[in-house]
Amino acid sequence: MIQPRPAPVKAHGFRFWLRKNLFNGPFNTVLTFVAAVVVAWSLYNLATFIFVEGSWGQVWRNMRLFGVYRYPPEYLWRPLLALGIMLGLMGVMAGAGGRKSIVAGAFLPIQGFVAVVSVVAILFWPSVRFLWPGALALGFLGYFIGSRWPRSIKYLPWGWGVWLVVGYLLLSGLTTGGTLGKVPVRDWGGFLLTLILFTGIIPSFPIGIALALGRNSKLPAIKYFCIGFIEVVRGAPLIMWLFIASLLLPLILNVDANSLPAIMRAYVAITLFSAAYMAENVRGGLQAVPRGQGEAARALGLSAWQTTLLIVLPQALRAVIPAIVGQAIGLFKDTSLVFIVGLVDFFKVGDIVSVQPEALLVTGGVKLEVFLFIAVIYFFFAYRMSIASRQLEKRLGVGER
Amino acid sequence: MQPGKPNVSASTAVVPFWRNVKIIGVIAQFVFVIALVAGVGILVNNVVTALAKANLPADFSFLGKPAGIPIAERAIPYQVTDTYARALLIGFLNTLKVAIVGVVLATVIGVLMGVMRLSSNWLVRTMASVYVEVLRNIPLAVQIVFWYSAVLLPFPPRISDPIALPGGLIMSNVGLAFPFLYPTYRFAVWVPYLVAAAVLAGVAWWWRRRTLAKADRVGSVWPFPVVTFLVVAGMGLGLSYVGRSVPSDLTFTFEADRGRGTTAFVVDGKSRPAAFVPVTIEIEKASLTVSSQNLVESRQDVRGSVRFPLMRENEADAFEFAFADAEAAEERGLQLSFDKYPSVATIYVDRNGNGRFDAGEDVDPATNRGYGGVDVVMTVTNFRRTLVSDRDGQVRTPTFKHADDVAAAAVEESAAPRAGTRFSAFGQAATATVSESALSAKTAIQPVGALVLSRAYVPVSNYEGGMRLTVNYLALLLALVVYTSAFIAEIVRGGILAVPKGQREAARAIGLSGTQTFSLIIFPQAMRIVLPPMISQYLNLTKNSSLASLAGYAELFVIASVVSNQTGAAIPIALLLIGSYLVISLAFSLVLNQVNARLALVER
Repeated sequence: MIQPRPAPVKAHGFRFWLRKNLFNGPFNTVLTFVAAVVVAWSLYNLATFIFVEGSWGQVWRNMRLFGVYRYPPEYLWRPLLALGIMLGLMGVMAGAGGRKSIVAGAFLPIQGFVAVVSVVAILFWPSVRFLWPGALALGFLGYFIGSRWPRSIKYLPWGWGVWLVVGYLLLSGLTTGGTLGKVPVRDWGGFLLTLILFTGIIPSFPIGIALALGRNSKLPAIKYFCIGFIEVVRGAPLIMWLFIASLLLPLILNVDANSLPAIMRAYVAITLFSAAYMAENVRGGLQAVPRGQGEAARALGLSAWQTTLLIVLPQALRAVIPAIVGQAIGLFKDTSLVFIVGLVDFFKVGDIVSVQPEALLVTGGVKLEVFLFIAVIYFFFAYRMSIASRQLEKRLGVGER
Repeated sequence: MQPGKPNVSASTAVVPFWRNVKIIGVIAQFVFVIALVAGVGILVNNVVTALAKANLPADFSFLGKPAGIPIAERAIPYQVTDTYARALLIGFLNTLKVAIVGVVLATVIGVLMGVMRLSSNWLVRTMASVYVEVLRNIPLAVQIVFWYSAVLLPFPPRISDPIALPGGLIMSNVGLAFPFLYPTYRFAVWVPYLVAAAVLAGVAWWWRRRTLAKADRVGSVWPFPVVTFLVVAGMGLGLSYVGRSVPSDLTFTFEADRGRGTTAFVVDGKSRPAAFVPVTIEIEKASLTVSSQNLVESRQDVRGSVRFPLMRENEADAFEFAFADAEAAEERGLQLSFDKYPSVATIYVDRNGNGRFDAGEDVDPATNRGYGGVDVVMTVTNFRRTLVSDRDGQVRTPTFKHADDVAAAAVEESAAPRAGTRFSAFGQAATATVSESALSAKTAIQPVGALVLSRAYVPVSNYEGGMRLTVNYLALLLALVVYTSAFIAEIVRGGILAVPKGQREAARAIGLSGTQTFSLIIFPQAMRIVLPPMISQYLNLTKNSSLASLAGYAELFVIASVVSNQTGAAIPIALLLIGSYLVISLAFSLVLNQVNARLALVER
């Protein structure tokens, strides 16, 4: 006869969760207590630093430096308009994709960030009191357009193209003096410069694809050139390429060193460096496309170019989108290396701010405060991108096909 | 194919040459190569003209010239007058030094964090996740600056009060020093034993493997040869301590080095400095006068602070302290309170009469300042300290400020003590006297075995003895290790998750414990997936060490950029740098290929 079994243990509720996740066995219980002590100690120290010990005045006073560095205050509406257009375009993408889409998942937190800054601007920064909320409004306008007319997304590539040109013109200016007065490139800095350098990933895209295709080419001259380029560039650190570019680009192009601003040299180095990594990512995607796809396309009578551009590349790129986002995160963090060529990006502003005379008056200095602030901002954007990358990976089912 | 047009089959049609794939390919390559050569030619021509115009060096001849770059951190001897080539070599070695240690530590922490991320304990899992997510999403540059200027530089200054940690570690704002085992002049005695141990271990390994294979048994091959090696090598090490004596060719000389406020004893052996030789310094009685200083911490806290050379309590039979002008001191009611006996003291007046030094008693009511400018005499009885000579055969001590005088006097045997000689130590005026009995200072070289434990001390100018790591090195190392470990943790986590679930279930089903399942079944299989991406992380770590300038560490790229700025030799330096990094990359690829080949062999 079968003995009656005891009633099943309650398998839900808070106490069950505790037992399962924190106290299942003596070892885990000890571990929980040790970890709890470590966590409590770290949180306590962090909290006391942030709310009690830290002196945040220096960070607070220099927000404009962090944002745009020496960009003339009277022209601040121009970078913010460019930002607003960018948010609007992202909004269209997000709106068209729907609230649950990955783009929206990235767009809404960024809007949240801009909203927080807007509130601060309204309260404390009279010169940009209406500009930040304006940028926020443009973002939501785009979102509205996108969700109302999802088909507008078709024109988006043009929108981005126009944005690049308009954005550049807005930043650099057209006339001497006046509303659109010229701003020399060397005055661009802060987070603005970080974002500008980050766009280096856009031109690196076509170059990277070309290199990847070249590496897969059957023509030895092209193939070995591409292999050589990719491996040499990837073999050395970005900081070295930035250094070499800043020294050698004027020599190589035989132009006067002053006519080639440091930002341009850094941009070239970042783009080519990023392209080499992009090429390796794309190559991985190309290898993932089944041979049959290309063969079937050829059998249908598509030319070699058509096969590559219409059949193989789209599938290859689709497969490596998460890897490309990962690379974008890396590039976003790596823009902090441009200090080596004398550019003042977001990271370098921290260095400058923490050695200002007012900063030195604070006992113990303000380095910790300043770099904590910088770390939080970098973290916000990089982490947001890494979440998007993970969602993309899941959505595309990479590795499951 | 459009209907109506005749379908030409490939075998019969003659393909015109402009549509022949092969010919197009050849032409395309030809055009490409010509374009490439022409392009590169123009660029090279540009460079050559520009260099000639600016009169900058375009060859490597500058490498032989004296560099004139001071480098604090060096693995091999280097002087400012050495060549650029040697400076660059030092940079390369420094890169290796941070990379190798970094790789090992990053692996340990990364694996730990990766395993913790998969823990069944929610708190541990979450902690590890936060660690990984936070650290890999913050630029390395920010992290280096954080470790350097926010964590390590605020450590207490080396001279005043370095933190003595258990195990002989000393930490301060110049770095970390800890005890270290060094090979001595008797190391050669041990070498045959080491060779024998290695050979025997090899034999044991081979024999053990054969026995296991013959008996068709599963078991580990390693314990047996490892124990063999340890026993034989340990025996040799023990024997190297038997019958030791100080060789007659080891002598020492005194060399005053007053610029740094210390005195060096140089141990000579066979006309060159003898490294890593223990030397005992004994002095029966010595006294030292130090003037107190006003140490301003805040307006309420101005101290009369006295700083003697850093000594340990057990290094002498007795320390005695007295005010140089005892009557005046008694009149003012001055007393001494030690923050760190017997090195750091505060002068105060016990105003509330409780016999203790309290806050508020540090300000002199008469002047509203601390009790600066008061001379205090320290008398040491039977001071002894055993120090191990460094790579240059030098032993430095802070107590023998005038040891060269002592030595000279000891030779004459009748010289009078030199009192009242002024010199500067610790940034303040101090007066040292060596009493008559101190003339019998006994300095002796100690006999030693194959290895010697060198402990770290803090004399005047820097750490002495032990292993010293600068804050610059530590900051870079910590940042690299922590940053890379976050990536390694992700790789390890992915690798463990990638092991099929059935493996774990099968292992548990045949009765292996949880630990056994992990260490014998899951981990080895995960290793196969994990190793290739891990090695590329190692390469990343090595390349990322080029951010060393943020921590002030003199690594290859930092030195190269200094050399480039000094000489203007941008092109040769660029080539050298690219070459060096390519060599490092290729070395890693080579290892990666080896690993891949080995892993492929294991696969069935």
